[in-house]
Parts: sequence; C-alpha cells; structure tokens
Amino acid sequence: MAADPLALSAGVVRGMPRREAEGLCPGAMVIVRDLEEEWRRFEPVARMIEEIVPRIEIVEPGSVLVPVDGAVRYYGDEETVVETLAGKLRAAGVEAHIGLADGPFAATWAARTAVDGPLVVADTRSFLAGLDVAVIDHDDLVATFRWLGVTTLGALAELPRDAIASRFGEAGLSAHRLSRGEDRTVAPRRIPVELAVESRWEEPLEQTDQVAFAARGLAVKLVDGLRREGIAPHRIVVEAETDDGEVRSRVWRSSDPFTEDALTDRVRWQLQAWVDERRRSSGGIVRLRLDPSDLSGEGRQLGFFTDESARVEAERALARVQSLVGENGVLEAAAQGGRLPSEMVSWFRWQEVAVQVRDTSAPWPGTTPGPTPSLVSPEPSPLEVEWDEGMPVRIRLGTRWEPVLTWAGPWRMTGSWWRGEQPVDRYQLVTSAGAFLCIVRSGITYLTGIYD
Amino acid sequence: MANAALAESSLVESVISADRWDLRTRLQERDADLMVLQPGRPVELAGPVGFGLTRIGYRMLAELSRTVPVVVLDVRGWASPRAAWESGVQSPIFVRCSDPALWPRVAAALMDGVPAVYAEVPRGVRDQDLRRLAALVRARQTRVAFRPLAGDLPAGVGYLRLRAREVHWEGPDRGHGRLRERRLVLEASGKGVAGRNRTIEVDDAGTHDLRVVSDLAAGPAGRAFG
Repeated sequence: MAADPLALSAGVVRGMPRREAEGLCPGAMVIVRDLEEEWRRFEPVARMIEEIVPRIEIVEPGSVLVPVDGAVRYYGDEETVVETLAGKLRAAGVEAHIGLADGPFAATWAARTAVDGPLVVADTRSFLAGLDVAVIDHDDLVATFRWLGVTTLGALAELPRDAIASRFGEAGLSAHRLSRGEDRTVAPRRIPVELAVESRWEEPLEQTDQVAFAARGLAVKLVDGLRREGIAPHRIVVEAETDDGEVRSRVWRSSDPFTEDALTDRVRWQLQAWVDERRRSSGGIVRLRLDPSDLSGEGRQLGFFTDESARVEAERALARVQSLVGENGVLEAAAQGGRLPSEMVSWFRWQEVAVQVRDTSAPWPGTTPGPTPSLVSPEPSPLEVEWDEGMPVRIRLGTRWEPVLTWAGPWRMTGSWWRGEQPVDRYQLVTSAGAFLCIVRSGITYLTGIYD
Repeated sequence: MANAALAESSLVESVISADRWDLRTRLQERDADLMVLQPGRPVELAGPVGFGLTRIGYRMLAELSRTVPVVVLDVRGWASPRAAWESGVQSPIFVRCSDPALWPRVAAALMDGVPAVYAEVPRGVRDQDLRRLAALVRARQTRVAFRPLAGDLPAGVGYLRLRAREVHWEGPDRGHGRLRERRLVLEASGKGVAGRNRTIEVDDAGTHDLRVVSDLAAGPAGRAFG
C-alpha cells in the first residue's frame, strides 16, 4: 500500500497492511491501483523526458532509465543534462527524483535517495558501499547476509567473489556484482532481423479494442518466434507509425524476460496512450513494429503438466473474443474476504493483475455458510416471497408460485451499521425447483444466489 | 446336513450380493463417464435453473482445467467463480456475452481455440448458428458443454443430452441446519448413450466433487437425437 503525504503524516507507512493503515488514519480513502490509468498519466511525462534524451527505457509507471552518454556529449556535462531535465519536469509541475550513476541499479538508488534535488554520483562504488544490504531484492539472501554480519553493500563488495559463488550460487554472484557497481551490462546477442515483428493496417487503428487485438497478436507472434530460438527479451522497442507518417518509438525494459502477457500489456498500454493522444487531433496507427533486444538465453521451458500449445492457442482465441465483447467481457476472478457470495470474489480483466479489496485471511464472522450458489446475482434482485409469522411459505418463480419445502436461516448480518447500512437476514429456501439464497432487508426479500 | 445347506445358501447369497455390488460399481463407472467432456462431442445440459446443471458443467471442466485453459461463457453475468473452484476448476476464464446476435461469433471464436468450454446459450440464438457451432466443435475437436437457457438445442447439435429431472436437498429443517448435500436425477439421451435413455443419479456435496451414485435405473429405448 502506498500513501499520500497527508496519510504519511498520520503515521501510515508504505507497504503497511490496509487494516493497520485504516486504524491510524480512519478517514483515509483506499483507492485500488489502476496500472492502466497510471501508464496513461505517465505517458506525457515520458514524452517530456524524450524531448531532451531520446530512447528512454521505461521500467514501470513513474520509473524511467535514461541513457545519458549521447546527451552529455550534446550538453557538455552531466550536471547540465540533469538540471535541464529537472527544470523541464519542474516547470510542468512534475515532482521528480533524479539520480545519475553508472548502471541502472546504482542510478535507481541514487534517484531514491535524491530527496533534496538531483543527485549526480561521481563515484558509484563509494555510493553503493553506504547502502544497506536490503536494497538487494532477495529476502532470503539479505537475511543470511545480515546473520553473517554483512549489513552494507560495501561489506559485501569486500568479500571474495569465489567464496560468494560457492556459498550463494548465482543469486549471490549477482548481488556481489551489483555491490561492486558492476551492473548488468547490455551485451546483446546478434539479433536476427527476422525476429522483429511488424504489422501494417490499411485502416488506421483508432479504437481500444482494435489496439488491444493488434498488441496481443503481435506480442504473441514475437514471443513465439523468440521461444523457437530459445531466447527471451529483456528489452523491447515498440515502434508505431501514424497515418500522417509520424513514427514514434518507445523502449520497454524488464528485469525478467518479457512473457506474452507482460509484453502485450505494455504494448497495449503504450498504443492506447498514443491512440488517446491522437484522437484529440485525428487519425490512428497504421504500422506497428516490435523489436527485441537485450536478449537472454533464458529460453522458455514448457510446463511439465501443462499443454503450452493449447495455452497459446487459447490466448489467441480469447484475444479475438476480447475484441468482440470488449475488455470488460473477458474476466478472471480471485478470492477475497466477505460475507455474501457476491462480495467474496474479486473480478479483474483477463491478464491484468488481481486486486483484492477484502483480506481473505481476516476472520469474517457471519459468512454465509457453504456451499456457494453456482449462480450469484451481481446485484440483489427483488423476489416475491409469502411469509407466515416469519416463516417462508411460497416464492414466486416467473409466473408461478412454488411452495417452500424447507428452509435454513435466518442468519443476521449487521453490515456497516456505522455507515447507516440496514441489517439483513439471510435465508436458504428449498423448493421442488431448487434452492435459493435470499436476503431480507427492511422487509423486502432479494434473491442473491441460486444453487444451480 | 441342515447346517451344510444353510452355509451353501449363505455362500450363494454372498456371491449374488458381490455380483450386484460389482455390477453396480461398473454401472456407476459407466455413468460417471457421461460426466466427462469428449473431444468434438458436445454435451447438452438441459433443464430449468436450480437443478444443479451449472455445477455439473463446472465438474466437466474440472479435470481438464489442470492441463489446459478452460472458459465459461456466461450469458447472465451470474456465474460464480467460487462454485467453479469448489467443483475443482482451476483458473477458469469467464467470458460475458448476453447479446444473442453476437453470441454465435463469440462462441465460435472460443470453440475455435479454447480446448474446453462451458457455454450458456441465450434465448434467441438461431438453430442454424448452433448447428454451425456443432460442426466447428467436431472439426476442432473441442470439448464443449452447452447449457441452453430456454428450451432445448436443435437436433444434431448435442452428442449427449443430460436432462435434469429432479433435485433433492438435505440439510435444512424449517430454519435449522443449512444446505449440505443434494441428489440430482438426470436423464441421459442421444448418441452418447447409443439411443438408450438412461437415468443417472449424482450426489453433490457442495464443497466436494460430484459423485455418480446411479443404481440400475435405465429408461426405455427412445429416439436418438443428433
């Protein structure tokens, strides 16, 4: 969980569990993260940076790696580049933390520590030596280092590499290299030209569904091609041409090799941002090219129990379906906490990240007893039930009345009474035509589920 | 002498009992096979809402979902993922389409590429579209369970029809208890049972897998559809 300055001042800390944060700051409003929206809002910032330094690499919304070698030759020195960039962002009202160092890892941490203005690191190794060992993104490794008394990257860098290799293997070696400022250098293998994929359209793409479809098709084609070569990309150049001849490109970087899903999301978001921007003027996209670089030898291994070809085929089919029914028509679900069946599921768009609003591990006293109805109404719909002294007698199903054979309940649910929610009573009603889950609120009965 | 006759009689009874048990087991295994989706052989789940057909559809996807992606084509937007998980379906994907004019295209796209589909069929889909879908399913060897929400599928679409006849719930008692288990009575017909209608019974314990518990019930031979 992240927090705004007001919440931070109330004691909320980034990464804190939601319940704890709500306890500290009861009036806080919890907003579910919308990555797509973040990408859309970040796009103008990325374009601003590109006006100064081209070929930037986007890591995630709000995080950009900017190669400065060319810009330094143009502007004269590093300080001028950084100041120019900071000034431009400041003028646009963007709060930016800028750090400059050798390699992405050191630059990222320089930016994170640059609170009072841009930080240009002259001696990367000395800068890294002062950082806590926790900056290595590997919990087990960090815990072991601490147990051994190695608490800073400087201490880690002093250890002999062969000892690290024999004790901690590949993960330890990687951490050791980072601690010495030997960041992952881009040493691309020779990229066969035919691995880049491209599509052209006679009719410009202007609609969201068209863009999503195009992105998926091309991403799947690219990753399939790379997989056959036994390689996977860490970096992708997305290049699009608009109908009036303008060519735009953007570089995407990922610490793990891109999968079809990850790549599709990035291309889709990127294209959508461009299309949204273009829509304000006119026209759309007529050509799209995905160019892989920074390839690793981490060829994709087929799952032992899974049919990979079936999965790829199914994803293509679902992409087609998504273009027919829209993004909100293809969904996945994740379990979440709640008391009513409709509350206990978190829906999210296919291949997006699940967002759980309610904690599954929390106790949810008064949860509707199982089994779960196979059909759950998204919104409770009124149901005609005839009662006799608090006991259900018959219910109306379509045009006929069906006698209630037996029933279970009521189970009272008080809900958020402090917000003025009325208590509800839940019933399981059994008829010869099946069983139904109902709630009664303020004397009105609603159907919430059918045990089909 | 009398003791010997009694012992022989007990032995015969036990042999008959064992044979009955064996026969019953074999029949249950045979009926359980009807709950498995076969490639290119669509199953029609016919009957009113509330008779457990959605859960049967989920059960048919459960085994397949361990190795291939499975999709639920949801017309009403009421399909419950929790019920699917309880039935053993892993990571189902839900496609929502309520427009009968668009539904055939969506269903065709799914059946062209997704290995296993549970598809609700909305009211108003043309027979010719359903027949074309059935042809596609046969050609692509897709595993499909159709769940028509109004009426039956036209002849020639389903390889096997499972029609819900009865449902009996156990557990609630005039306010006490809760729903625990139900027994579903289904009638199987069509090519999948060689034209000989058969009645099967299924126990649904809610949070567990379905269990076929058919006895010897077999209906008279009737006209096959399909």
